[in-house]
Amino acid sequence: MGKFIVIGERIHCISPIIREAMATRNPEPILKRAKLQLDAGADYLDVNIGPAESDGEDLMKWAVTTIQSAFNNVPLALDTTNRKAIEAGISVYNRSKGKPIVNSADAGDRIENVDLAAANDAIVIALCSKAGVPADNDERMMYCQELLERGMEQGMEAEDMWFDPLFLVAKGMQDKQLDVLEAIRMFAQDMGLNTTGGLSNVSNGMPKEIRPIMDSAMVAMAMQAGLTSAIANPCDRRLMETIKSCDIIKNNTLYADSYLDL
Amino acid sequence: MPFTDKPQVFTSKIREFSFGTDGRELKLGGYNTYPLYTFDAATANPPRIGVLISDQGYDRTVPGFEALYGDCNDVPEMAKKAAALPGADFVCLELDGADPNGKNRSCDELAALVKAVYEAIDKPLAVMGCKNVEKDTELFQKVADVMQGKKILLLSCREENYKTVAASSVLAYGQTLGAESAVDINLAKQLNVLLSQMGTPEDSTVMNLGCAAAGYGFEYLASTTERVKAAALTQNDESLQMPVITEIGDDAWSVKEALLEEADAPEWGSREERGIQMEIVTASAALASGSDALLLKHPESVKTLSELIAGLM
Repeated sequence: MGKFIVIGERIHCISPIIREAMATRNPEPILKRAKLQLDAGADYLDVNIGPAESDGEDLMKWAVTTIQSAFNNVPLALDTTNRKAIEAGISVYNRSKGKPIVNSADAGDRIENVDLAAANDAIVIALCSKAGVPADNDERMMYCQELLERGMEQGMEAEDMWFDPLFLVAKGMQDKQLDVLEAIRMFAQDMGLNTTGGLSNVSNGMPKEIRPIMDSAMVAMAMQAGLTSAIANPCDRRLMETIKSCDIIKNNTLYADSYLDL
Repeated sequence: MPFTDKPQVFTSKIREFSFGTDGRELKLGGYNTYPLYTFDAATANPPRIGVLISDQGYDRTVPGFEALYGDCNDVPEMAKKAAALPGADFVCLELDGADPNGKNRSCDELAALVKAVYEAIDKPLAVMGCKNVEKDTELFQKVADVMQGKKILLLSCREENYKTVAASSVLAYGQTLGAESAVDINLAKQLNVLLSQMGTPEDSTVMNLGCAAAGYGFEYLASTTERVKAAALTQNDESLQMPVITEIGDDAWSVKEALLEEADAPEWGSREERGIQMEIVTASAALASGSDALLLKHPESVKTLSELIAGLM
């Protein structure tokens, strides 16, 4: 197995600074966040432009070329509900460091994003939900099958479909956490699929000093279950140290005394 | 169903390394497939062969060495013969005489010899120390200084002396360097990390993962080399993407199969033949496990391995 893949989540239009930078096409704040995340060890960067209904295509193209040209064609996850914007982003995307990730498809309205990924030789994050949170793992598994079949019909390689079990906030949905881990286990170990998800959801709403601890515990348990990637905050040092250590224990990376520095 | 060829080409690659200047540059590595998997993608640089000679002369009891070097008056003349061998890509001068427990030759004297050897040949030069860490540290410093700008390959720094050696040879005088670990994959990685943290350019080092003759613990070396290549390619481990150089000749010619005289083991046949076989068998196995440069001694081994490599490319 390869090393765990961290998709840096911090270029997100929910942040006022990023939203402003996207609206005014000001590269500086975006590149600054990109650099922080890459220095901290992110493998991919997520670029969330929001729904961007009016100028999504132009904005995504701008964001992709701006970030990739500044950072040696760093691979990106294109994150928006605007399908045309994702297509536009892929049209200018340089794949020398890795395929683009379409973030995301689900088993409901957004299932066509699987087709989009297939048509563009991209990776797709396949959210195992339809409308809202899946009630249980039977439902998760059903959506997983639907998405997988859709991808296969379109000629995708299974390894390019990264299944997202939907991480849930612990504060409020504490009783569902083991279900998520079990879903990862089924996707990864029973079906041999790649998995990812928005890890930070787990600690959402918790005090700032608690979040790294909760996220680290969750990622360790999820990696044991078979999680191969996460959309997470790479600037969280405790989280990155946990992931690197789990990668050693899982024999995903080779140990050296300086492994935490790498 | 039609057969679809799916070449196993990695996005990560074994870094291209080069040593030598003035029209005698030699490149190693630079491929993104498993070693020798030329059916997956073309290999930029084939594995290379360096011919080992020593400041202490050669084994006069082996007819092949005698035939090659018999009329040489000094080491530079030997170097010239070695460099001209069919299949030789570079020369590796071993400074065995530096050993404080042996001849204990001075660093100044040996640095002058390195210079004379370099001037006698028209191929790139690698220089190997005497394996005494303290003496080698001093020796490499001197050699690097004398050979400034020639981008020779120094073999090798170890965990105990990497700081001084890298600072004096690579950073100060622009030489290239081997990083030696004794069949220990974690240490091999760590040494590369430490060198890169010192600011040593990643394309200025090769890995020397240790050596062993076939049948004498060689499988540990083979599995270490294989795992280094696998981590470099499948896990994109940048701290293991340097090419690998493997010393073969000294080990192959120091085991009983290559040492026992024919009179003492008549049923084993010609001693020279056995030595060559040990060298060829060890070298071809090292090649298969992923070595990018082989250091060989006997002209027959150099010829055979160069033909094998040409056939595999």
